[in-house]
Amino acid sequence: MNWSDLGTLAPIVVAVLTAAAVLIVDMAAPGRRAPAIATALVGLTVVGLVVLSLAGHTETAFGGAYVVDALTAFLDLLFVAIAALTILFAADYLEPRGLPIAEFAAILIFAITGAMLIAGSADLLLLFVALELMVLPGYLLAGFARNDSYSTEGAIKYFLLGSFSSAILLFGLAYVWGLTGSTRVSDVAAALAVAAAKGSIAPGLAMGLAFMTAGVAFKMAAVPFHYWTPDAYQGSPTPVTAYLSVGPKVGAFAIALRLFVGALGPLKADWLPVVIVLAALTMTLGNLVAITQDNVKRMLAYSSIAHTGYILVGLAAYAGGQRSGISAILFYGAAYTFMNMGAFAVVTALQRRPGVTSQISTFAGLGRRDPWLGFLMALFLLSLTGIPPLAGFWAKAYVIVAAIQAGGWLTVLAVLAMLNAAAAAFYYLRVIVYMYMREPAETAQPLSPGILFRVGLAVTGIATLIFGFFPAILDVAGKAADVFKS
Amino acid sequence: MPTLPILGLITFVPLAGAVLIAVLPSKEQNLIRRTALGTSLAAWVLSLLLLVTYSLGQAGFQFKEAADWIPSFGIQFKLGVDGLSVLMVVLTTTLSWISILASFGPIKVRVKEYMISFLVLEVGMIGVFVALDLFLFYIFWELVLVPMYLIIGIWGGANRIYATTKFVLYTLVGSLLMLVAILATAFTYQAANGSWAGAFDYEKLQAFAAAGSFGHNFQLLAFLALFLAFAIKVPMFPFHTWLPDAHTEAPTAGSVILAGVLLKLGAYGLIRFAVPLYPFAAHTFAGPIIVLSLIAIVYGAVVSIVQPDLKRLIAYSSVSHMGFVTLGIFVFTATALQGAILQMLSHGLITGGLFLLVGVVYERTHDRSIAKMGGLAATMPLWSTVFGFFILASIGLPGLSGFVGEFLVFVGSFAFAPVIAVSSIIVMVLAATYLLWMFQRVAFGAVSDFLTGLGDHLTDMSRVELLTLAPLAALIVLFGLFPSLILDFLSPVQTFLAAAGAAVGG
Repeated sequence: MNWSDLGTLAPIVVAVLTAAAVLIVDMAAPGRRAPAIATALVGLTVVGLVVLSLAGHTETAFGGAYVVDALTAFLDLLFVAIAALTILFAADYLEPRGLPIAEFAAILIFAITGAMLIAGSADLLLLFVALELMVLPGYLLAGFARNDSYSTEGAIKYFLLGSFSSAILLFGLAYVWGLTGSTRVSDVAAALAVAAAKGSIAPGLAMGLAFMTAGVAFKMAAVPFHYWTPDAYQGSPTPVTAYLSVGPKVGAFAIALRLFVGALGPLKADWLPVVIVLAALTMTLGNLVAITQDNVKRMLAYSSIAHTGYILVGLAAYAGGQRSGISAILFYGAAYTFMNMGAFAVVTALQRRPGVTSQISTFAGLGRRDPWLGFLMALFLLSLTGIPPLAGFWAKAYVIVAAIQAGGWLTVLAVLAMLNAAAAAFYYLRVIVYMYMREPAETAQPLSPGILFRVGLAVTGIATLIFGFFPAILDVAGKAADVFKS
Repeated sequence: MPTLPILGLITFVPLAGAVLIAVLPSKEQNLIRRTALGTSLAAWVLSLLLLVTYSLGQAGFQFKEAADWIPSFGIQFKLGVDGLSVLMVVLTTTLSWISILASFGPIKVRVKEYMISFLVLEVGMIGVFVALDLFLFYIFWELVLVPMYLIIGIWGGANRIYATTKFVLYTLVGSLLMLVAILATAFTYQAANGSWAGAFDYEKLQAFAAAGSFGHNFQLLAFLALFLAFAIKVPMFPFHTWLPDAHTEAPTAGSVILAGVLLKLGAYGLIRFAVPLYPFAAHTFAGPIIVLSLIAIVYGAVVSIVQPDLKRLIAYSSVSHMGFVTLGIFVFTATALQGAILQMLSHGLITGGLFLLVGVVYERTHDRSIAKMGGLAATMPLWSTVFGFFILASIGLPGLSGFVGEFLVFVGSFAFAPVIAVSSIIVMVLAATYLLWMFQRVAFGAVSDFLTGLGDHLTDMSRVELLTLAPLAALIVLFGLFPSLILDFLSPVQTFLAAAGAAVGG
């Protein structure tokens, strides 16, 4: 490592320093929220600015193991936004429950640092280390409400299955290393291209591929590797759920891009059928189970499984020969981040007072209790449904355009995705029914979201609209996807 | 000469009204109502301006406006009208202001939200009829869905949530498959031309289709997807089951717009997109579709006879009447197509009027069951007269617009296959049966105990209510006596259907 590496790594370094600074500030002014939150938000803003200043050219560090390119920049900005939004939404929720915001913010920023490292990994070992850095703080966050048994149960399930899947992934990586002699993504891809050109792939490589697919599928919560999701999501404090539903998910897709598209690209014909089956199962099962849920948090958890399925359609489209599948994945990730965090944020606002459940009946009459909150929730839900011209519509449209272009079985997958989207409308609209077509409960107290919360909600709402009305943001995703030109 | 972007204006004037209402305080209910009426009237006046400045006999689309929207996929904001769309736009704007005026009394809660929904609905409906970019068309198509969902779900009857959910899910299944078909169509064009430019442009795609460039297997699949979306909206048998529920539970104005415009969106989609873009598939599937249309015509009429609820009866009669429209489209003769389009307009006017009239009674009785009515001719003579007029129009009395449409469909389909024409004529008898029988039970005989119990509440129609119905009645007579007023607008349509037919090679 030399000094120029430090420049390339600047976003990571600043992020780590921010997390440390939050802890130090908290020690200097114990129990006070404002300094810690301010430090975290300013630090994250600086990270974002550093990422932007590096954007536009490709640089590597650690002798090529870490790379900063358009893809890294795109994902980094997304991760920074996720962390900042989570902190904005969490403040109001944690305080009444006596949970420390400073520790929360610091752990969260460490997790995001891991995610940013994944985004820039050009080496399988670094990829694994970065993954662990991302998920370990996630386990802590899931169990952040120490006195809540559901939270603890969710955290333990998440931890056990998460560690298990990490081990499986590592096992798969070991096979690839053994058969290609390198852990560097570019070398692996070159070696695999030679192997693929020979026709059939070695049984060991097939084993490795299977292990890696299972490991990544666990992380992105694809069916049938999704069992940890609903419990972890429902048990976690709601702002954590908001984070878990987007942060580690986009992180898992970052792994998929760096690992499957980058390193295993030459074998795409071999993993294509698996991805098609995973996508079909994931969206169908996620939606079917979501329909039966009466708890909005759990419903959003299952719907996030369904959305994983739609994003997998983009990956399948890439494997089917359409590079536009990658930009579709990136756009979907960004659109999903904002609309889904927004939806979870509204759940958080309703649950500000301890003891309020996330049952659907809590939403009764929200449109009248707080018209803005109701309107924004409706906006997020319609966007998640995929109603034009909101962000979620374009996300789905781009994914299926890519799938239709790829043709063959992928057209069938596109049709299946659309049928799923129609089924999903049922449970998203059910919440709108409660918000606008039922009377609020007698005991309903006025909601008074704090200023930070309002800012966060405004950002997610505006993003959902802007992505919808100016979908040209796809071009940015397209530039990020150009990383995989070769 | 810089021309006025009249289509853009008509489409977005209601949106401006919706935004204006959004910033008005909810307490100012009367101001909100007047603003909504004012904007819908403005859109109406603009559409009349469009009607008179439209040049008859000129082929192709007029008043075209285009701007790039998403250049990387060649998606444009492109608007334009031919004779068919002009008529549909005028129908939409007319029924919109009438519906808004008719909502003044019945809608007393959340007036602000209601009027915003209604104006956004109007934007979507007009947009569907003027969009010349397939993607833009799809956006407007879906834009219609959300406000209607809210209108039925919030201001509807007792079983509104079931009805509105069913309405949305049915429509959404169709429209999402349509999206796949639209994207696949654009991609086929892109693959053939090597660029996305114009891939969603209706005129380019139609020329592409007329040259026979869409493969037969592709056409069959794409047509089926589009057809399903439109058939659900029309609604054709067996996709009609959402309609009686939605109609029955919707507030009066919602039913008027559902019957008057929303059902026409489906028929318009068939005429504008499904047939011309995939002519081979349209001809291949014409047989089964004609059979389905005949089933709808007969089934809708038979089921109407036994309906106990006024709105449900009219809803099922819509299934029957819209069957004539799909029949007229798919026998592929110019006369039948003209009849189908006339039937679309005339059904919009007549059924819209019938729903308004039922709304008038419901406002006073809070009941729609036929069994509880009786002797309304004595208590509400003016209402009964007007109701009788609309019922005769619905039966297809010569001299009124309903007759011309159905007659042209008969003539057109007789040339195609006499059997079809004859069997559909029988339905006119059925229509007379269920409508006149219903009218007899409601208007004549002794005043029922239920109505007597209402006492002074049972007043005759007010002036405002009459004002909502008078324009409809006038147009029904006008088009009945001078159908050429409409037929003149349809010469371009005729030529493009011929083009679609020729593409198959006869």
